[in-house]
Amino acid sequence: MHSYRICGLSVTSDIELPGVSPVGPSPPDVEILEGGVPDTLERAVASGPNWTMAVDAFLLRIPGRADFLLGHGRTIRYRAGTGMASGDIAAFVMGNALGILLHQRGLVVLHASAVAVAGRAGLFLGPAGAGKSTLAAALCQRGYPLVTDDFCVAALDGKGAPVIHPDGRGTKLWSQAIAHLGLDGGIGPAVRGRINKFHVDPGIRSDGGGLTAGPVYVLREQRPSFQPGILRPNVVDAALLLEGAAFRPRVAARMGHQDRYFSLAAALGNHGGVFLLTRPMDFDRLAEGIDWLETHWAGLPGLAGAA
Amino acid sequence: MTAPWWLSSYPKSGNTWFRMLLATLEAGGGPIDINDPPDRDGIASARGLFESMTLLDTSLLTADEIDDLRPAVYRAWAAFEGDGHERARPRFVKVHDAYLATSRGEPLLGGAAAAAGAIVIVRDPRAVAPSLAHHLRLSVDEAISMMNDRDAALSSGLRGQTRQLRQRLLDWSGHVASWLGQGDIPVHLVRYEDLSTQPVAAFGAALAFAGVSVSDEVLARAVDYSSFSRLQAQEREKGFLEWQHSGRAGLFFRRGTCDGWKGELSDGQIRRIEMAHGPMMARLGYRKMEEGNG
Repeated sequence: MHSYRICGLSVTSDIELPGVSPVGPSPPDVEILEGGVPDTLERAVASGPNWTMAVDAFLLRIPGRADFLLGHGRTIRYRAGTGMASGDIAAFVMGNALGILLHQRGLVVLHASAVAVAGRAGLFLGPAGAGKSTLAAALCQRGYPLVTDDFCVAALDGKGAPVIHPDGRGTKLWSQAIAHLGLDGGIGPAVRGRINKFHVDPGIRSDGGGLTAGPVYVLREQRPSFQPGILRPNVVDAALLLEGAAFRPRVAARMGHQDRYFSLAAALGNHGGVFLLTRPMDFDRLAEGIDWLETHWAGLPGLAGAA
Repeated sequence: MTAPWWLSSYPKSGNTWFRMLLATLEAGGGPIDINDPPDRDGIASARGLFESMTLLDTSLLTADEIDDLRPAVYRAWAAFEGDGHERARPRFVKVHDAYLATSRGEPLLGGAAAAAGAIVIVRDPRAVAPSLAHHLRLSVDEAISMMNDRDAALSSGLRGQTRQLRQRLLDWSGHVASWLGQGDIPVHLVRYEDLSTQPVAAFGAALAFAGVSVSDEVLARAVDYSSFSRLQAQEREKGFLEWQHSGRAGLFFRRGTCDGWKGELSDGQIRRIEMAHGPMMARLGYRKMEEGNG
């Protein structure tokens, strides 16, 4: 069995999870195990073309490849299709199943990368293709340790402050981004064979504990009607942006979790602030976008001296 | 809510122009902003649509694996009413994919359970070639080779994440034949050249096929507001975002002519196209050069 610490949870798995730092064993919060996956779920409350949601169970299917049964936010059971290697299953567990399981645990799960800035977690929210991982990797190169790469769990501590837990992973980058960032030296295995996306060692990772959330940036592509730069939206817009930035918003909505996202949005707004970062998507202008961020951080209370 | 209608075409055949006309009508017949048309997300191969319906990260799937799931996605989408997390899907959805079956033998686009029918827009392949070359930054000869290649595809994603899923095109003739020859859903054929020379009649007939009845007067006004020269003028003034995503220079609304290809193709290039696509060209009414092009 393999042991990991992901988003503040102790996870054990009967397959290795590439790209995630192994830790010593401890009583698991989440177990990943082969077998026991049914073809259908009864008493469905919601469904899609390849998934079914019941009260405490979620069936996610990738026809011909792998099926997953998520139970009570505690177990991820998998059934591998013909020809599927454990690396394929691991990729699907980390990229698809785990995020939904975290929703089952009632957690707020954001589609976000994050780096540590002056002891706080700076978040970058956006859908697939928004450039979250590339931006985080580039920030690591400038000395900001990686906290999360793809999705992150945000929870309120006893004093109502939002806390972000590291996902225990490195970055996953397309070969084009790796080349542009000059990260060929840190390239690891392909996330899934045949696809040009790879695990890349970020160089510096935030160690272990949760960090209080700092500024949150919702990534937006520059357009003729959008000014490039960093804007602070009003409270209502910020809450809507956060809800839309959930990992698999449809799942959060079907589970009736919207209120948690609004509460978290308020907490994030009060602590680090929620901002819109509008930037051009060219690799050539990535450094410029980071300059904007560092200038912004230099002016934010609580982050003085970060840049 | 009724199932959507596909707006199907080989690339560079007038699909965007047709959608601008639809957007103009939906906006009440007045001028629209080419960068903010009402149907912004209406393309079948949008990656975001697939991911939000399947809850899957497509960067972990091969194009073939994605294709195996696409029929179920489109069937579910046709029945989907929207849950506030995205707009209910638009009525007319652009498609560049050829009408093909997946490895599991299902129609890629979900068949009759996924759409009410298809408006198939075609254009003289001799006009498509230089437009395709410009759009994809190819030489005209390379564009013709692509149009002659049954394995051609858009957004193959070999270099990283693309905004859209892979769209297999077949060769130009095969693409048209696949749509006109499928028996799952009714089709209505529209020629780019008819949209250009008899717009009210051509648009009107296509809309009537889709159950949209519009007066000639409203149609004429919409046609005027989405005329090529107006679209091009907007692009010159403000840019056209769909095109700018690619970072390419030059205009998307480039020439918009029907017979401009005569000055853009060499005799050898014309012959290459006519030899490869003669039968389909004849079927669609595109006469070869020696016959005198009409």
